[in-house]
Amino acid sequence: MASFVNLEIFSNYQKYIDNEQEIRENIRTKVREIEQLAKEATIQLQVIHSDLSKIDNACKEARKQVSACASIYKQLSELIPVGQYYRYSDHWTYITQRLVFLIAMVVYLEAGFLVKREIAAEMLGLKINHADGFHLDIEDYLMGILQMASELSRFATNSVTMGDYDRPLNISHFMANLNSGFRLLNLKNDGLRKRFDALKYDVKKIEEVVYDISIRGLRNNPSVDCKEVEDPHEQCGEDVVNDN
Amino acid sequence: MSQRSRNSNRRNHLKHKYAQNSQTTDEQNPVIKAFQDYALELDDKHDRYERIVKLSRDITIEAKRIIFLLHTIDGRKNNRSRILNEAEERLEKVVATNFKSVALELNGQDPYQYRCAYSPGLQEFIEAYSFMEYFKHSGDETPTTVSDWSILQQKMQFEHQDEASQKDDELGKELEVSLGQEKPVGKIAASQGVNFVVDPTEFILGIADLTGELMRRCINSLGSGETNVCLESCKVLQQFFTGYISLNIQRCRELSRKIYTMRQSVIKAENVCYNVKVRGGEAAKWGSVLENKVNEDLDEGFY
Repeated sequence: MASFVNLEIFSNYQKYIDNEQEIRENIRTKVREIEQLAKEATIQLQVIHSDLSKIDNACKEARKQVSACASIYKQLSELIPVGQYYRYSDHWTYITQRLVFLIAMVVYLEAGFLVKREIAAEMLGLKINHADGFHLDIEDYLMGILQMASELSRFATNSVTMGDYDRPLNISHFMANLNSGFRLLNLKNDGLRKRFDALKYDVKKIEEVVYDISIRGLRNNPSVDCKEVEDPHEQCGEDVVNDN
Repeated sequence: MSQRSRNSNRRNHLKHKYAQNSQTTDEQNPVIKAFQDYALELDDKHDRYERIVKLSRDITIEAKRIIFLLHTIDGRKNNRSRILNEAEERLEKVVATNFKSVALELNGQDPYQYRCAYSPGLQEFIEAYSFMEYFKHSGDETPTTVSDWSILQQKMQFEHQDEASQKDDELGKELEVSLGQEKPVGKIAASQGVNFVVDPTEFILGIADLTGELMRRCINSLGSGETNVCLESCKVLQQFFTGYISLNIQRCRELSRKIYTMRQSVIKAENVCYNVKVRGGEAAKWGSVLENKVNEDLDEGFY
């Protein structure tokens, strides 16, 4: 009687797994290149915490790195067989989140609004739908945005240190919007949810900065943008004075 | 104390104010608008995931029952062909209904994205299916080997029926309304029929579970006195183990854990065979299995 166990299965599987291993190897090389560029951009952007006048320049530099990433993403997309994005996506999710963070940061610093997923994808040369090809996963986008929130709370503190008292109000308003946006999502109990749970601490930190500025009357030039959030702070300020 | 409570009051007041703001600006606010779209997309993904998990659970339950049924095959009762037929029928039904539903859910999607959702069911199914094949092989005149993933893959191809494609179209329409995309993919796939992708790794993991069943079979046959079955299943186990340790794999933690368990199963089965050999003579009712394997008294239609 012939043997039930067909050892060919195992040699075939070995071939299959070797092939997969090779693809992964190639992906890793490309991802490392992207990581290098992203790191440079991150370093460029660190200057915002110490010198406000260099923001414009830092944004320009960061944009250069991001567009360099786009060409590597194109090479990366050619390595992935059609319909197997999620088979290998664990290699680049982290770095993609990082890049979304960088893009969101640059767009906020330049223009003061939240970068849309479409725009972020376009800047990286990615599609939005997996059906159209190599795409920007929605969860990666949202994770990147959440990373930006923590960076902004740090930026708020530092901009006060550097004497810019209006910026925290701007950031606070922006974050409030972001927070209510995230509340619209029904998040599963996963990594994104966990990361979202940390958002409230960033929001709180910024609110405290705004509060500190407001009670001391440090705002010099209230912009139209912050008008709505102004009133409660005014009251706060008066109350504290009365208490004292 | 009072200061603190006042503080928190102020905060609440502040938050309340924010909430009002966001309510009034909901329609124009681009952030809110964008997030409404994201919410739809995420919900669609989570819903699909949950539906597949449910289907997978049904497959797991049915596969476990089939395995249980196969374990009742007993040389003494002459029930082999009846049970095999029933098991095969039920397995085909699982393919025709449950796997088809999963395939329809995955139509136009990246199957790897929902892998966690269906992988338990698929592995259990592969285990049941190959266990059935094992029985088919061990008694039959036609020596077959265990089917590999490409054979299973062929089984998992489905024609698009009218109602199914209709349902798909509806789904596509819904998505079109909500997202404005997806539809073209669904259409293309609908005209081609759908298939369920059997990933080789899932297959290998499923077969690894089979060895646990073989071990159980080996032990059970010792209890019922069919020592030839013990020896035979032990041999199959050893061959599987050889195959598995021949694999050179990195990164697959799940598989190395299974191989570790498999080693223990092999050792258990080998101990059974050892005991049969050593004490076989003492247990009179077992007879002289080892000297005379194809003994008429023992055979009882199994071999």
